[in-house]
Amino acid sequence: MGRYVVRRLLQMIPVFVGATLLIFLMVNVMGDPIAGLCGERACDPATAAQLKREFGLDKPLWQQYLTYMGDVFTGDFGTAFNGQPVTELMATAFPVTIRLTIVAILFEIVVGITLGVVTGLRRGRPIDTTVLVGTLVVISVPVFVTGLVLQILLGVEWQWIQPSVSPDAPFGELIVPGLVLASVSLAYVTRLTRTSIAENKRSDYVRTAIAKGLPRHRVITRHLLRNSLIPVVTFIGTDIGALMGGAIVTERIFNIHGVGYQLYQGILRQNTQTVVGFVTVLVLVFLVANLLVDLLYAVLDPRIRYA
Amino acid sequence: MPEQSDGVIAGTGMGGGMDLAASEAETLEKVPGGPLGTGPAGKPRSLWSDAWHDLRRNPVFLVSSLVILFLVVISLWPSLITSGSPLQCELAKSQQGSQPGAPFGYDGQGCNVYTRTVYGARTSVTVGVCATLGVTILGSVLGGLAGYYGGVWDSVLSRITDVFFAIPVVLGGLVLLSVVTSNTVWPVIGFMVLLGWPQISRIARGSVITSKQNDYVQAARALGASDSRILLRHIAPNAVAPVIVVATIALGTYISLEATLSYLGVGLKPPSVSWGIDISAASPYIRNAPHALLWPSGALAITVLAFIMLGDAVRDALDPKLR
Amino acid sequence: MLLEVRDLHVEFRTRDGIARAVNGVSYGVDAGQTLAVLGESGSGKSVTAQAVMGILDMPPGRITGGEILFRGQDLLKLKEEERRKVRGAGMAMIFQDALSALNPVLSVGDQLGEMFVVHRGMSKKDARARAVELMERVRIPAAAERVRDYPHQFSGGMRQRIMIAMALALEPALVIADEPTTALDVTVQAQIMDLLAELQREYAMGLILITHDLGVVADVADQIAVMYAGRIVEQAPVHDLYKAPAHPYTRGLLDSIPRLDHKGQELYAIKGLPPNLMDIPPGCAFNPRCPMARDVCRTDEPPLYEVSEERASACHFWRECLHDLDH
Repeated sequence: MGRYVVRRLLQMIPVFVGATLLIFLMVNVMGDPIAGLCGERACDPATAAQLKREFGLDKPLWQQYLTYMGDVFTGDFGTAFNGQPVTELMATAFPVTIRLTIVAILFEIVVGITLGVVTGLRRGRPIDTTVLVGTLVVISVPVFVTGLVLQILLGVEWQWIQPSVSPDAPFGELIVPGLVLASVSLAYVTRLTRTSIAENKRSDYVRTAIAKGLPRHRVITRHLLRNSLIPVVTFIGTDIGALMGGAIVTERIFNIHGVGYQLYQGILRQNTQTVVGFVTVLVLVFLVANLLVDLLYAVLDPRIRYA
Repeated sequence: MPEQSDGVIAGTGMGGGMDLAASEAETLEKVPGGPLGTGPAGKPRSLWSDAWHDLRRNPVFLVSSLVILFLVVISLWPSLITSGSPLQCELAKSQQGSQPGAPFGYDGQGCNVYTRTVYGARTSVTVGVCATLGVTILGSVLGGLAGYYGGVWDSVLSRITDVFFAIPVVLGGLVLLSVVTSNTVWPVIGFMVLLGWPQISRIARGSVITSKQNDYVQAARALGASDSRILLRHIAPNAVAPVIVVATIALGTYISLEATLSYLGVGLKPPSVSWGIDISAASPYIRNAPHALLWPSGALAITVLAFIMLGDAVRDALDPKLR
Repeated sequence: MLLEVRDLHVEFRTRDGIARAVNGVSYGVDAGQTLAVLGESGSGKSVTAQAVMGILDMPPGRITGGEILFRGQDLLKLKEEERRKVRGAGMAMIFQDALSALNPVLSVGDQLGEMFVVHRGMSKKDARARAVELMERVRIPAAAERVRDYPHQFSGGMRQRIMIAMALALEPALVIADEPTTALDVTVQAQIMDLLAELQREYAMGLILITHDLGVVADVADQIAVMYAGRIVEQAPVHDLYKAPAHPYTRGLLDSIPRLDHKGQELYAIKGLPPNLMDIPPGCAFNPRCPMARDVCRTDEPPLYEVSEERASACHFWRECLHDLDH
């Protein structure tokens, strides 16, 4: 087990370097990294040259990358467009997005798995067909449409929620945005759970459990669910990174000042430091989440553990 | 033996891939040194014709292909069902509701929502089809070669795909497209191909590795067939099924992604016509003119749904075990 | 009689039609006795057993007629909760492939102990102790350590021993073994059959042994029932049947066993394929494959004729079959 963790950690390094380098290159394609630093107007050539020297932008790209990564590992993510350190922006933005992601994951677990189990056990019945069609529709309607429609209906027409989330973004205000963020994954979790349950329901070991005279609820919870949820847990785990990185649309609709909002601002204002900094952290979150999922997988499935 | 394998193919088609492999191996055993091409070239049709047999009876497939056919036709000849121009707008008609000549009403700029929705199909279909073609070709070639040759090539490619998976797609789109000034579909398509190929490459790699281990491929190799012949004649016909399924479903998601990027202001920009632009433009005044948002949204949702359902139906037909 | 199945009918409703899997099967087994049920796959032998255990997939399966009397009580009339209590405690089942029949994510100790926790209300600790005892009983070495292991960590023979231990945990009156040795190596097969026979003697339980392997049957069975297309075609004490089969299908099965004294001769094989259960041929279901078939076989379904007090055959020409010892 220990050696497995070490190997997975080592495998993470090239992916981390590759992903950050890729984003570094992409951001530098974005154009003039100092364009945003002189306010609304363009910098005069002398100031531009000085700023470039100051930020080390006159050096080759790979040196810039190394310098940047060196800084990142000492906790210096550079300066945002408004002169604030990027780390300060992160300190306000990440808690908001993490709360949003937690709400989304809870929806996936509670609603997605419940629907999946119910439909998987009742395959072919009306409730199964209804939910199945529903998941297809949810997957097909782009998130920004779902978000806009829910915002208008719940926030403006019926006034059940605040159409736009306050800067503190408490959990209560994040329920509907969290649902919107989770929507597509929720549909996938439902379908995945349903398939998995339906497949395992016909398995030999479930038949054995019934032949042992176990009560139905014990057959389902102890034998069927435990096995069926392994792929679902894997999916939800890997989804954490995707949700945090994909929160841009949801945060924009509900005016949530989280990671997506800051990234969007950074991209609009061409502030390379903000963009690269946030993306680096997101990549790290993604990699760590995947590692945890792999370890969890080994805990849940003894066949992996002892392989 | 021949009776049995015929029965399997003519029957419900359960476990298509395996039976196919088995019967092909048989063909090879019977004619050692014979023309290798005949068996494999003829046999894959049984999988496909079997799938086709299932599909023709599947209402989901029929409905979604009709929708897609309709979309393709109106994106090629939008004037078939609308006479106006999507750019002909009169501010005086801003936010007006349904009326003769404008069944979907007018949007905030006074443009005919019906005409714009019809013309929007062209953007979506072009982006979807071109991005899927690019992604599929690039992904299958890279993934297929890596799966077939293995070794260093394979490890490098696997790490590269890992890198791409670590970057959120919408975020990558925002960064790359925010500096593009050209207001055409091509940068959007280029971006999708750039970030989308790893998904297909993973599928292609996996299915090539699976097919590579089949007995008939081993047999072909033992008989001295060249790499290119084995890849094209023996592996590709079997490995292509999962790629087609994933690509069909991906087509829907690319259409959705284009609309999302246009909504965020980095995909297409006005005066281009795209459902994403229209939905974004309609959102501020949705209370007064909900029709301006709902029609393009509905068109978008139906289009994406059609492709996802088509992919679902094709997967069911090609692999009944996944049902 | 410990168990008596009377005129059982089971069908499966599928998209392509109704498959009549069991068509009027009757058999019985006494305490301490072994009944072997013999037949090809699709003959209905496993479906009958699943109906007896109450683990038939319903739908698509459906019991359309008959009675299953266990200690005189019709199981088909019991409520599901009462039926459940019979399973595991009153009767138990041993499955063919122990690797897939055991839950891969639970330790064997948990799976064995579960029987005591659920049916006897024992604490987990006591149940674990009983699990170790059971594993020792089926001669698994180092049982106390291995009780925490998972199914995939055992060899095929050891896994089947655990399967047997699980079935015998509550000392049921009846055990149904569905092809218990088919998935095993030939050398291990004998050990497992010996263990099963020994435990059966010890607990004096009734055993229904489902198999397609005539070789396995000869040593352990008392009675034998041969099934074809969902019906019993011949029923007899095992030695009578081996000496002189009263049905051409049974004869075909016996003739297809390789024998040393016939070395060099071509091995006999019953020609044709098992019938399609959605479209069972009229008359005798075996007639398309039968070397003795005549016109009447294609029109009239043979009843189960009484051959002697102890045996029966569903062949119009059972007399010819019985006396035609060397074809």
